[in-house]
Amino acid sequence: MKKTLLAALIGMTVMFGFNAAGYCEVGVTDTEIHIGQWGPQTGPAAAWGAVARGTDAYFKWINANGGIHGRKLVHHFFDDAYNPAKTKAGVKQLQEQTGIFAWVSGVGTAPGLAVKEYLLERKIPWVGPSSGSRHWVDPPEKTIFNVYPLYLGDAQILTEYAITKLGKKKIAIVYQNDDYGRQGLEGAEFVMKEKGMALVASVPAAVTDTDMKPHVMKLKQSEADAVLLFVTPGGVARLIGTGKAMQFEPQWLSTTTCGDFPLMMAITKGLYKGVISASFGMGQPTGNIGELQSSDAPALDLLATYKEEVYDKYASKDERWGYTFSTGIGLSEPLVEALKRCGRDLTREKLVQELEGLKDFKGLMGRITYAPFDPEDPMCRIGQNEIYLQECMDGGQSKILTDWQETEYIPSGE
Amino acid sequence: MIDLMQMIISGIAVGSSYALMGLGMVLIYKSSAVPNFVQGEMALLPVFIAYMIIDTYGYPVHVAFAGALAFAVLLGCFLEFAIVRRAKEPNVIGLIIITIGMEMALLGLVSWKFGADQRTMPFPISSYDSVMVGGLYISTLDLLTLTVALVLMTGLFLFFRFTKFGVAMKATQQNEAVARLMGIRTRRVKMMTWGISAMVGTVAGLLIAPTIIEPYMMWDPLLKGFAGAVVGGMTSLPGAVFGAYIVGIIEHLFGGYVSIEFKSVVAFAVIVIVLCVKPSGLFARHYVKKV
Repeated sequence: MKKTLLAALIGMTVMFGFNAAGYCEVGVTDTEIHIGQWGPQTGPAAAWGAVARGTDAYFKWINANGGIHGRKLVHHFFDDAYNPAKTKAGVKQLQEQTGIFAWVSGVGTAPGLAVKEYLLERKIPWVGPSSGSRHWVDPPEKTIFNVYPLYLGDAQILTEYAITKLGKKKIAIVYQNDDYGRQGLEGAEFVMKEKGMALVASVPAAVTDTDMKPHVMKLKQSEADAVLLFVTPGGVARLIGTGKAMQFEPQWLSTTTCGDFPLMMAITKGLYKGVISASFGMGQPTGNIGELQSSDAPALDLLATYKEEVYDKYASKDERWGYTFSTGIGLSEPLVEALKRCGRDLTREKLVQELEGLKDFKGLMGRITYAPFDPEDPMCRIGQNEIYLQECMDGGQSKILTDWQETEYIPSGE
Repeated sequence: MIDLMQMIISGIAVGSSYALMGLGMVLIYKSSAVPNFVQGEMALLPVFIAYMIIDTYGYPVHVAFAGALAFAVLLGCFLEFAIVRRAKEPNVIGLIIITIGMEMALLGLVSWKFGADQRTMPFPISSYDSVMVGGLYISTLDLLTLTVALVLMTGLFLFFRFTKFGVAMKATQQNEAVARLMGIRTRRVKMMTWGISAMVGTVAGLLIAPTIIEPYMMWDPLLKGFAGAVVGGMTSLPGAVFGAYIVGIIEHLFGGYVSIEFKSVVAFAVIVIVLCVKPSGLFARHYVKKV
């Protein structure tokens, strides 16, 4: 009799125990939501490690304010050193041993591509890959939601601005010989073709190139009066510096990845002043064209809140407040918003549904819109496709040059 | 024609930092018979120390640089004394793995302590000013690097030729057992070789630092310096220097006339060609053991 009672008791405990948890979705418990992220904390791309640390501080702030519908966000982020093999191993380990509900951000095209298929096969949502590659929307996938504006768009808006507003006739580009640079080249060529023009020089550069004299020589020979720079911040600093030494000083234009003006001013020893770059947010362009803005005294109320509430309270003391750190917050906002909209009843399917329902969602970045999944329409997963232009001024301040500009999506192979 | 001249001058300019790295590698190769892959990081840590002395403690540049060079000597000696010397019956492969291990440890230490953000070293000469002569340009920093490289090479030549310690080093490099029998404290000599090598590398690092400091800054100069040393001959100091200049010039000519995309790998193609045609390097004597 005793044994029967004990068995019944165990059975009931197990039954109610499961009921108490109430969820069979991986990575979700009654009190926690497990979110994964990779990001280089060491290695050649470690400067972008602040993206993951920004997300981490943001999640801590959310948890301190009660979490999401009574659940805390448990952020699992690991250092992949920008090495796709490590990204794959780390994602697999966390997914299979810890159980991750959804992945957020994740720096780099190559590391992202290494795990894309793995996440797709398991239908695990991945929001906001931290690179502006077309791979995230072409073809569109049900569970991948892009947030970062595509590099193609940066190139379009910058080229257009150089020709129409600055009156430049000879446009050249230095592009990193990888996905980032080549898509920049493609975007620039697209606009030039539309205008019946051609680039006067397109100069490839390797990530490891530290000597930029041959590149600048080619640019100088082409007599370019405006040069687009689709390389890393260090590469940009070397190109502009070598240009100055070789007395070649065109209008330099750069991408969102080099939009952290205080950093760029520091590493170029002030030569970045006057450089025009694309930006995907962290400023308030609408109604403020011609105005000077700074991330230290944010014009955007939300950015000011994050600086005070997230950065000041939850970032480590060595952390620098800037574009990279706040990008980690901006890329995670759509996920957090969708989690809030899901309510208590949280499943991956519901998360995807709520993400698809985001229309003109406005956080730190430009407006973000998704649509119900259509395998023929990349726009249903593109998220943000507007940027604005800014010019670097003294002290790393941003002079707002344009309002938000919508970019045109260029399908691959065109 | 002016483009060709410019490419050659730019090649020589960039070759100077390769030459300093190559010199450091050859010094160690001659004494320990190991291609030293920690050469870059033996310079990296002192460069960051110099940056810390300036940025955190506010000392002037010359004090920081002197401190960094002294630290480099100590670091080189320490690595030889504490790690390389402890290897039991070392063979070349074992020693190479030890140097790679030390490289990873020092790189990790720098990344952990100083972070990955890019910065620049305060320096009296702007890295972006230049001297123009008849339409040809050379940046003032490159000019300084070239001068320092030549002075250092001359200094090393005189050191090996005319000082007692330099001769002891040469003797140790040529035949360690006999040198020991002659009363030379060969282990101490080897340790000092590592110290001097680290100092030479640090000079290169300090001259690269005014452009950008980051944990991976010594990787490219190390590989190109190694390429230069192989081209010139791993056992020849002048060979390493000339090899490095050859690599710099070929890189620039290749980038200018053939393909800028593959400019950075051309150095390694040159290594392969030299190893096939003259394995001991262009400037080294080919020793053949007589039985």
